[in-house]
Amino acid sequence: MTSYLDATLPNRSEHLWRYTPWSRVHPGSVDTVPTVDSAVVKSEELEIVNKTFQPLSTTDIARIFLNEVLTETIVVECDGKEGNIHIHAGGHAVATHLHISCQTNSNLVLHLHGEAEWFGLALTGHVQPNASLSVGIINELSSDSVMVRVDDWSVQRDGRLELATLSMGGHRNKSDIRSTLQGTNASLKQFIGVHGHGTRHDDHHVEIHHQQPHTNSHLLLNAACDDRSHSIGTGALTIDDVAQHTDAAQVFRNLLLSPSSRAEAIPELEVLANEVAAAHGAASAPINKEQLHYLMSRGLSNEEATSMIVEGFLVDSFTGLGSDYVRDAIQTRLTVHLECKLIG
Amino acid sequence: MTEVLLRVENLHVSVGDTPIIQGISLEIKRGEIHAIMGRNGAGKSTLANVIMGHPAYEITSGTVHYKGENIAEMEVFERARAGMFLSFQYPAAIPGVQVGTFLRKSVASVRGEAPSPREFRKELNEAMKQLDMDKSFLSRYVNDGFSGGEKKRLEILQMLLLQPDLALLDETDSGLDIDALRIVAEGINAVAQDTGCLIITHYQRLLDLVKPTVVHVLIDGKIVESGGPELALKLEKEGYDWADALA
Repeated sequence: MTSYLDATLPNRSEHLWRYTPWSRVHPGSVDTVPTVDSAVVKSEELEIVNKTFQPLSTTDIARIFLNEVLTETIVVECDGKEGNIHIHAGGHAVATHLHISCQTNSNLVLHLHGEAEWFGLALTGHVQPNASLSVGIINELSSDSVMVRVDDWSVQRDGRLELATLSMGGHRNKSDIRSTLQGTNASLKQFIGVHGHGTRHDDHHVEIHHQQPHTNSHLLLNAACDDRSHSIGTGALTIDDVAQHTDAAQVFRNLLLSPSSRAEAIPELEVLANEVAAAHGAASAPINKEQLHYLMSRGLSNEEATSMIVEGFLVDSFTGLGSDYVRDAIQTRLTVHLECKLIG
Repeated sequence: MTEVLLRVENLHVSVGDTPIIQGISLEIKRGEIHAIMGRNGAGKSTLANVIMGHPAYEITSGTVHYKGENIAEMEVFERARAGMFLSFQYPAAIPGVQVGTFLRKSVASVRGEAPSPREFRKELNEAMKQLDMDKSFLSRYVNDGFSGGEKKRLEILQMLLLQPDLALLDETDSGLDIDALRIVAEGINAVAQDTGCLIITHYQRLLDLVKPTVVHVLIDGKIVESGGPELALKLEKEGYDWADALA
């Protein structure tokens, strides 16, 4: 296993680290490995088991770093169940590795909260053949927190994975979410809703790798950026030469709510098969004036109308979710968050 | 004396450097239904949008008074809260916002207080029944993926719930089949008795069901002729060529 101190630090020419250099999300000085405590993980509905740390695949600096600081792997056995997992990140620097194994149909929602200055989250999971897993990740960390998240998911034959991320908390976030469709007819739907406010910097890098024929993936990232926030969405879609009849789509949409907000949306495709459908799109725009006028003509003030459009835009990120359980949990937390942020 | 709801005096409106409305005067009293007919591009929708306060249009001269007050400086939402309503020709879609949520917030804004959930549900059920609308409408996103007819029904549903004093209906009959037209017309008639209505339409078929007090013919941004319902029948029969000479 590569040692962090021996590893080469990435530079900004790398796609993954172009917009959020590793030095900005490291918990201290970049040439050190500071002490990192374990986050508190609880669930009332699901069985969670603390096990010896199972190392992450060490292909990049964030995973190499987490391999050095993580001490245990928390395994969630969620077959046929639904429930919430609360991860509390408190203190200076904390991290956790959650591994989810799913052999049937399951729905779970991870709630991230706490005031940690730095939080490292590693999520890994296997969706077994014919299984169906929906996972919601709701980031409500303190507005001062820095988060590094790395995901590694695999989906087997006829498996179905839904990953929904609602990102509202933290000051600076870097998420590197990787999924591999390893069996025929495997399916991935990924939804990301970002609310940028204050000086939030939220970077989502999404890699999807189609390794087998007849696999499907769909990615939608909606970012509503207010104040001086900055949202980044980069996609890396790879379709292997054997993955014929794959259907893949990536869409990045940014709603710019203030002149000082910024958003990047960069889908990238590497298609090696010749009988596939692979689509991508990116759009950034301010609030649609006709939508605003329509709502105001129904008695809503400018602020109320804007709030409704923003909420709708973010809710719409998750419309395609098949799991009512995950969608309802996300929508509830989103509504609470926006009532605080937009209405006050 | 019947209350004058809307008084438009010598109104001139431009979009950029292009004049659209060139001297319209009009007065609508409570209980009156005015129909405006004219060719595409004559300025009919512009007139409705200007009265409602669309920011894209600039009033270059003339005035619009609502209930005796010059509303030039009123924001759009203030006009709505004062009792003005525009049924849009092309209502905007608001993805992610459910119809039920939108209606509840809109009613609360216009009335100045939220109705009790029970009272609101009762009102809503009655209005939807009147318009033959399925309850599944309420969980759909506002105008998102709606057919033309569904959009128009939602506009009229809002009108029934908001109970405006002045209703501006911009081509509410377009995109409706015969049955839907009849249902929508019944909805308009239900509020028209206590309301001032300005109906913009291309077709006599709506005016067969909603009887206008006055019909105006709009040519190149000017009202060139006003008269009773027979004027609409004349337009249906003869077209607009005869009116060009009056412009």
